[in-house]
Amino acid sequence: MLPLSLAVLPFGVLFGSLAIQKGFTWLEGQLFSVIIFSGAVQLVTVELVAENTPFVALLFMALVVSSRHFLYGLRLRDRLSTQSVRWRIGLGFLMTDELFAFSNHRRSYASKYRLYYALGAGGSFYVAWNIWTAMGIFAGVALPDLSNLGLDFAVAAVFIALVIPEVKTMPTLICVLASAASSLLFLFYGFELGLIASAGIGMLCGYGMQRVRS
Amino acid sequence: MSPTLVTILSVAFITFITRYLFLEEKLPLRLGPTITQLLSFSGPAVLTAIFIPILFFNNNEIDISVSNAYLWGGVGAITAAYKTKNIYWTIGFGGILFIGVGIYFNL
Repeated sequence: MLPLSLAVLPFGVLFGSLAIQKGFTWLEGQLFSVIIFSGAVQLVTVELVAENTPFVALLFMALVVSSRHFLYGLRLRDRLSTQSVRWRIGLGFLMTDELFAFSNHRRSYASKYRLYYALGAGGSFYVAWNIWTAMGIFAGVALPDLSNLGLDFAVAAVFIALVIPEVKTMPTLICVLASAASSLLFLFYGFELGLIASAGIGMLCGYGMQRVRS
Repeated sequence: MSPTLVTILSVAFITFITRYLFLEEKLPLRLGPTITQLLSFSGPAVLTAIFIPILFFNNNEIDISVSNAYLWGGVGAITAAYKTKNIYWTIGFGGILFIGVGIYFNL
């Protein structure tokens, strides 16, 4: 988990400085990372609030960006739903893309030892994410032009590092290509809900391809 | 409570619910195979839809010129991710191309 904690340093710093740049106080910026703890959701929320998006549309976007967590929950349901409520709430709260990717081992969460191990991994990632956020907030206050330095490239690179190794089958490849192509199309036409729409199209195309092949 | 605080709390609540919901034992849940398969594509689909605009969208327009450092960096990161499946190589190689091309076209 340490490589991932370090790898999201630019992402965390970007988020912190962006929150300041978009007019949030340092306390609000830190609160995002303390209670939401999801880079993608936090970034999207900050952008949408800055664009004065209606509250309901904003919540819907948060739900869409967060919806992949449903999948993680489904995958881990067999192992975690029988654990005590404290484990479920604790590990549920810590279930980032990174922790999920990290916990793909077949015996993950299968014993007390494995549970504490996951708690350590997820917990250290949480602490790191909050430190990086705080650094970004300080940097954002000190150097208001920080976001011009291209830190957002780091966000793209982290997501590329999470997506590309998952592209192991033709349906997943089709899903990613369809999502990419439609997101470009929506960008071109300035469609506001492009993120939701292209994710939906990507999922449908991947699913369609899977059906065709089976 | 300020509107901003309400927003942050609401988004935090939604995010937590998406993480916790299916870990709840009492949830009488049977998801059909269609939904399950559809959901299995949600990770790559959503993450791609987030990173593509970062690479292509600069200064409020789509930029597909050779001077777009984000695109070069993206190609580098994708190549490195495909070859190595390692997050450091992905960020490192993509980052070097991104910074290199950025410097080249700005000096």
